[in-house]
Amino acid sequence: MHSDFLKNDILILDGAMGTVLQQRGLPPGGQPELLNLTEPELLDSVYQEYADAGSQVVYANTFGANGLKLQRTGHSVDEIVTAAVTIAKQAVAGLGVRVALDMGPLGELLEPMGSLPFERAYELFREMAVAGEKAGADLVAIETMTDLYEAKAALLAVKENTDLPVLVTMSFDETGRTFTGCTVASMARTLEGLGADAVGLNCSLGPDKLAPLLAELCRNTRLPVVAKPNAGLPDPVDGHYDMGPEAFVEALLPCLDAGVTIFGGCCGTSPEYIRRLAQALNGKKPVPRTYDAVSFVCSPVTPCRVDGVRVIGERINPTGKKRFQQALLENDLDYILDVGVQQEDAGADILDVNVGFPGVNEVEMLPRVVKKLQSTISLPLQLDSSNPDALEAGLRVYNGKAAVNSVNGEPEVLDRILPIIKKYGASVVGLTLDKNGIPQTAEGRVAIARRILDAALSYGIPREDLWIDCLTLTVSAQQDQAVETLKAVETVHRELGLQTVLGVSNISFGLPNRPLITQNFLIQAMHAGLTLPIINPNQKEMLDAVAAFRVLSGEDRECRTYVARFTGEPALVQAAPAAGNLTLDDAIIRGLKAEAGKLAKAALETEDELSLVEGHLIPALDRVGEGYEQGKVFLPQLLSAAQAAQSVFEVIRVSIAQKGGAPVKKGRLVIATVKGDIHDIGKNIVKTVLENYGYEVLDLGRDVSPETILKAVQEQDIRLVGLSALMTTTLPAMEETIRLLQTLPEPPITFVGGAVVTPEYARQMGADYYAKDARQSVEIARKVFG
Amino acid sequence: MKLDIMEALRYLGAGSSPPEVLRRDMEQIADQLTAAVRPRYAYRVFSTVHEERGVLLREAGILLTGRSAARMLAQCDQAVLLICTLGAGFETMLRAEQARDMARAVMLDACGSAWVESGCNAAEEELAARFPGRYLTDRFSPGYGDLPLALQPAICAALDAGRRVGVQVTDSFLMNPSKSVTAVIGLSDRPQQARIRGCAYCSMRETCTLRKGGKSCAL
Repeated sequence: MHSDFLKNDILILDGAMGTVLQQRGLPPGGQPELLNLTEPELLDSVYQEYADAGSQVVYANTFGANGLKLQRTGHSVDEIVTAAVTIAKQAVAGLGVRVALDMGPLGELLEPMGSLPFERAYELFREMAVAGEKAGADLVAIETMTDLYEAKAALLAVKENTDLPVLVTMSFDETGRTFTGCTVASMARTLEGLGADAVGLNCSLGPDKLAPLLAELCRNTRLPVVAKPNAGLPDPVDGHYDMGPEAFVEALLPCLDAGVTIFGGCCGTSPEYIRRLAQALNGKKPVPRTYDAVSFVCSPVTPCRVDGVRVIGERINPTGKKRFQQALLENDLDYILDVGVQQEDAGADILDVNVGFPGVNEVEMLPRVVKKLQSTISLPLQLDSSNPDALEAGLRVYNGKAAVNSVNGEPEVLDRILPIIKKYGASVVGLTLDKNGIPQTAEGRVAIARRILDAALSYGIPREDLWIDCLTLTVSAQQDQAVETLKAVETVHRELGLQTVLGVSNISFGLPNRPLITQNFLIQAMHAGLTLPIINPNQKEMLDAVAAFRVLSGEDRECRTYVARFTGEPALVQAAPAAGNLTLDDAIIRGLKAEAGKLAKAALETEDELSLVEGHLIPALDRVGEGYEQGKVFLPQLLSAAQAAQSVFEVIRVSIAQKGGAPVKKGRLVIATVKGDIHDIGKNIVKTVLENYGYEVLDLGRDVSPETILKAVQEQDIRLVGLSALMTTTLPAMEETIRLLQTLPEPPITFVGGAVVTPEYARQMGADYYAKDARQSVEIARKVFG
Repeated sequence: MKLDIMEALRYLGAGSSPPEVLRRDMEQIADQLTAAVRPRYAYRVFSTVHEERGVLLREAGILLTGRSAARMLAQCDQAVLLICTLGAGFETMLRAEQARDMARAVMLDACGSAWVESGCNAAEEELAARFPGRYLTDRFSPGYGDLPLALQPAICAALDAGRRVGVQVTDSFLMNPSKSVTAVIGLSDRPQQARIRGCAYCSMRETCTLRKGGKSCAL
């Protein structure tokens, strides 16, 4: 195998390039990749020194040679990468030393933190990888990553466009997380699933501080593990790192016993460090280690080990939910996010995501919803679809190790979907049914489970990544089947040793007091070995049962979680509602969300939707707005009132969706934070307030180009556009947007706001209105829409 | 490190007489924030060369142009570049809070601003302890006074900010993650009198709502 050299023995990489170049005169902050063109001899000597010192792999000087960082240099990626790899190849020719194409972070943050889309990051890495392979690189080293998503884009780009082996190392701090919060376990298991050949840690800390993290990494992967630490920490005065070669090697050696087999150095190290390291490792053999083969899914920040009961939230699913269907058809992703947030707050561990509905293009919608959810929710996701293309599109953009729901015992389904599962390293739910339907006996279902297991193993999917769903049937219709399901769960759990999934709620369909039946079935199923119940986490009875089960099974040590759940946290934020005769107007003014919703429901029995809006909601919001203008009410209170109004609107939407009527909408407008500006809380405040006055706000997001805004205005026939800018440097983009909009035959009315915008600027750039704050944007909308 | 609630309230315009409910909510949110996110900072000391064009940070090759830098660093033979950030963790927290509750999100945002300042204060204390007998100037940042915002990329590059604290600068000189501060602090053998604080030096002076109302944020 082309990657055998990574596996079979101890392997020694090189040390730093950047800090060595700085010692030889490159100023801090300079762009070292240009030296490939200007100083080939200098680089040649560094590679040779590393090879002489004992490096078996040297990293070509291509860390930042990507299309973004090179765009203002006048040089192409291909030119720089080719030069760098060629110099390295020549320097080590005949020495048996391999050359790695080095790929560091792109220098711009990916969405959702920055504005670089995942797909664009993939393209930038692809360009490098293709150039590197063409120039003769022997392998690729993706390093110093702090964002798992960026590492995934790079890894996919290498795997899909080259035949080179690839090692991936990321940078962690002492808390055991990267700057973006990624954990060691999430990193290891996600990247192994995606097909990395080795994983490890580099940069950020010295070997002493990285050692415990490396040990943790070794437990979480079957792959060879790389250690490439810094020579300690830099001195703030002279920039020198505080660990000499001897101390460095001494602190690094214990990692051998933890299972690390690939060694090198990062910032502050030099050929001398590598020489000492090679001497110390001479004659040493890899130390065998044990892999923790646990079922596992994760987002970067939330690893989820399935070593007990883990709750899968079922609410992101349009089946039988009119309001959810409406949101899907209207592209209202905020609503879907809200459904996710509620389940996270209720205590779900994993969220099932199903967006299949007639009229919805799942192949486009599933990745969009995945991106939306993972921008805010930290739980791992389970992608739920019968459309293989939608599943692949969703898995591709998922940040972490996902689960997929589902395959079944049909060979065609297995052969179509399991390769996708393998490629993206996901876990998969296997339903115990096939073309003959659901077997009526436990034995029949277990037989299908075995078939699915064999198929999964044949595709190289490890058994811990297969979860079996023995299927819940409605007890009021097929009463004998509840027992069969429980028997099947028990056998799959005990004999096959697999995790089991059940959609629990189905059991009680058609019966009164459904929660009682559902809860009882859940308890019996957990006792039989159910580890992954798919339930509604907002139903208190269900999570109560899980909490109790975790106590009795011994998982909830010292009953801590249980006690915390039932002794209760102190009540949060909102002032207590006054007893008795609270009016709807009062509830809105005081920002009491739940009460406002309840009172609105009651009011709808005697009033229609429109009079609720015109007669209560808007006058109440106006009173709060006046207080805000007079400085008696502050922004958080204004927003609390707006959100209470939102809960009233939600009641109205549900009521209208049930009647099948058209929603109450007072006018549609576009808002956006202009190109170059990534601060969007101000724009979001305006959106919250406008929406709760009943306006339909098309939020284009932040860092939005003038062309995107123009397109939205044209396509959607928009009459009012609000633009926000926070920095003086982005005011020109605001002006450009207005100029572009004015080229339309019937230009929309524009209003502008944001910290640096003044009435004077607004006039100069040709905006129709200046909005000092969210409250004024309502006044403007009123003038425009009447 | 302690988060100054009154400072956070000032950012919301409620510095003088915050309603009791608001103050309680802010305290609770501040507790959540400080438990979840620690400010992270990095700094480096450079020697200064006082030139006609401005103050040159020699080892980094960065020229600090403008009157503010010249006045603040007049008596300094060294200057420190500092970066402090709440990192991506805060951004994620703020996004989640915006999805949950916009009112709490603006309070969290204000607490974040106060918390990153606490981080800068801690870095300053560390500096003072590291250089006993030396005197520090007030810290000042690109965008304040006439120190150009356009210095941001060079400052971040000199501090290796991407690798050391995870901060990137965009083409429009914004730092990302957004709750990040860069600053310059002069070091001198003499006690420092020059002060940068006050509205006169603030780039927000024309638009500041507090100032229009005859108040100040007291920074």
